[in-house]
Amino acid sequence: MKNMSKKQRNISSDSLWIAGFLFPGIAFLVIFILIPVFGTLFTSLVSDITFMKRQWAGLDNYIRLFNDSAFRQSLGFTILFILVSVPLETVAGMGLALLMHVKSPFRGVIRAIILIPWAIPAAVTGRIWEVIYNVNYGLANYLVSMAGFGPVNWLGTASGAFIAIVLADLWKTMPFVAIIILAGLSSIPETLYQQARIDGASFVRRFFSITLPLLRPVIVVALLFRTIDALRIFDLIYILTSGGPGGSTTSLSLLGYKYFIGGDYGYGSTLSVVIFLCAFLLSLVVIRLGRFSREVS
Amino acid sequence: MFLSSKRGLLLLLTVLMLIISCGGDSQDNTVVLAVGGAPSEIDFWEKTASECEEKTGIRLQLIRQPTDTDQRRQNLVTSLRARKSTPDIFLMDVAWIAQFAASEWLEPLEPYMKKHNLPVESFFEPVVRQADTYNDKLIALPVYVDGGLLYYRKDLLQKYGYSGPPATWDELVSCALKITEEERKKNRNFTGFVWQGAQYEGLVCNFLEFAGSNNGGLVLSESQPVFDTEQNRIAVKFMRDLIHTHKLSPSNTYTNMKEEEVRLVFQNGNALFERNWPYAWKLHQASDSPVKNKTGISLLPHFEGGKPAAALGGWHIGLSRFSKNKEKAFTCIGYILSSEVQTKFVTSLGWNSGRVDIYDNVEVQKTIPHAEILKSVFGHAVARPLVPHYSYMSSVLQRYLNAVMAGRMELDKAFTECESELGKIVSQYSNQ
Repeated sequence: MKNMSKKQRNISSDSLWIAGFLFPGIAFLVIFILIPVFGTLFTSLVSDITFMKRQWAGLDNYIRLFNDSAFRQSLGFTILFILVSVPLETVAGMGLALLMHVKSPFRGVIRAIILIPWAIPAAVTGRIWEVIYNVNYGLANYLVSMAGFGPVNWLGTASGAFIAIVLADLWKTMPFVAIIILAGLSSIPETLYQQARIDGASFVRRFFSITLPLLRPVIVVALLFRTIDALRIFDLIYILTSGGPGGSTTSLSLLGYKYFIGGDYGYGSTLSVVIFLCAFLLSLVVIRLGRFSREVS
Repeated sequence: MFLSSKRGLLLLLTVLMLIISCGGDSQDNTVVLAVGGAPSEIDFWEKTASECEEKTGIRLQLIRQPTDTDQRRQNLVTSLRARKSTPDIFLMDVAWIAQFAASEWLEPLEPYMKKHNLPVESFFEPVVRQADTYNDKLIALPVYVDGGLLYYRKDLLQKYGYSGPPATWDELVSCALKITEEERKKNRNFTGFVWQGAQYEGLVCNFLEFAGSNNGGLVLSESQPVFDTEQNRIAVKFMRDLIHTHKLSPSNTYTNMKEEEVRLVFQNGNALFERNWPYAWKLHQASDSPVKNKTGISLLPHFEGGKPAAALGGWHIGLSRFSKNKEKAFTCIGYILSSEVQTKFVTSLGWNSGRVDIYDNVEVQKTIPHAEILKSVFGHAVARPLVPHYSYMSSVLQRYLNAVMAGRMELDKAFTECESELGKIVSQYSNQ
């Protein structure tokens, strides 16, 4: 009896301590995440333009969004960008991860080299690729000219600029996917492969029957991060094309940014809310896929 | 009891960390100035700030902003919207002054100017009238003025028997076609005419010049924009033809040609003509420049029946309405705008002062032998519409103009759609 009460007192004082330690973390989340998110949601319902009278707008900003051709163009570009870049990055990242996982004397060097693009800030990546794609002195045109073709204006057409951005983004983010998948690879017990080898399974068979199913949860995490990042893409495009030619590569974030600096906080917030909702829905879908995979395995 | 335990101390520290990060300081004798630009420009501002402290006794503290114009603007919009008391004074691009003024972020300057004996007549009248006056109030003053200029290769024009730079666009085309045909035999990268055509503000400035030199432009009639005119169509078609028909302007004109890209093509000896702002002169004349002493400066050409036009650019200084130190802040503005400092602007940075009297200075005339041309350029300046929603109009214009330059959109479609979108923006952002 005596012991019990002492234990109980300990628990209640412990939970006080726990609350105390959690408080700064929770306060951080509330101040820097919850309040801004709801603040943005609120601002999107207001006509909040620095040079005009602030007034309640209801859903006006959202209605305007539906009739805005620039928004439709941006949304189309962003969705296409996600659909093309994320699968490419995942497959390429998987390849790199397998390469990094191979036991060889060069393992350390290979890992370091593969990680370099990820360590470079996106703005710098943008500048590097801007030079590569330059019409007059770029590396891309140098290679093309060696093959005997005339100079190509890589960023000059909508499709060319799109491919250019996807390639630059692929180069930059493959290592990120690779690291996550590498972590998954290291956690697969070697004995499984040994057993499979005894059963005479080929490399391809081992990959599809052991590696891929066991990596599924990890791939889902990589997909989730990459999808949300691709949805928010800004810096690379800002530097590489500034949204051109003719607005064809203006991502949703870039469009929203233009409204913020022009002083229309209401409409800029509306675009932010749309990006937030897209990210939220996409996360739900990806997490749902993750659960599905767990039930199967 | 509470503090005696290690856990208690740890908890206190955690909470303190949260609190410490908030808070700031303000000093009575300090004026904060936000400036950005190239490293050489920042260095110059640092020097000016310490000289200001010597002369006036006021500490002028700099906030270093990025080089990029959009980022400098974002930086200021964030502080001003939060009604922060610093920066007290800041530089603004002409394109944002209306937005800042209409947001009531700028202190009217006339009362301070009277008190500090700084007459408005010291500055170029068209500049002050077109760019610094909003709703009849003077809310900014020019620190330096810009206007589009034509740079040309003196040596090449001479070599091929031309006595001077072209006066009309037709002359420019025929002259450039002849010379590039010959020069390309030696230099595959040689091109006729480089200008700013990427999707950004510079494209609108270039458009205003081509259109303005054909008696066109972007006019606000009864607050509705008039864009789809015959004059403008001819001008835009000409811009497109320079790239696609005459092939005098390189195909990356519409992808990455901004000021510096254009300047480098010309400076490396790969272009006959260049449209750029006055800043390029000093760099073209630098000791390691391949075009040193081979460069001439002139007004931009015009269409038959038109006059040369130069887009009015430049940076203007404003005083924040939220400043807690307005008197002293204006003393610093007065110092920056004094003849003494403005002369140094010209001689050490090659910037063009907004002060009229500077150009009679011998030292200035030595640095910029084309002082007379500049005076005339500022006389032909076409301002961008001084409306607070200008940046939205500009981004629509950028999108459509760039699509035409890229050959992605027919002229007809671009003009009809662009005008209707401009109309939408104006009705969205004008107070009823």
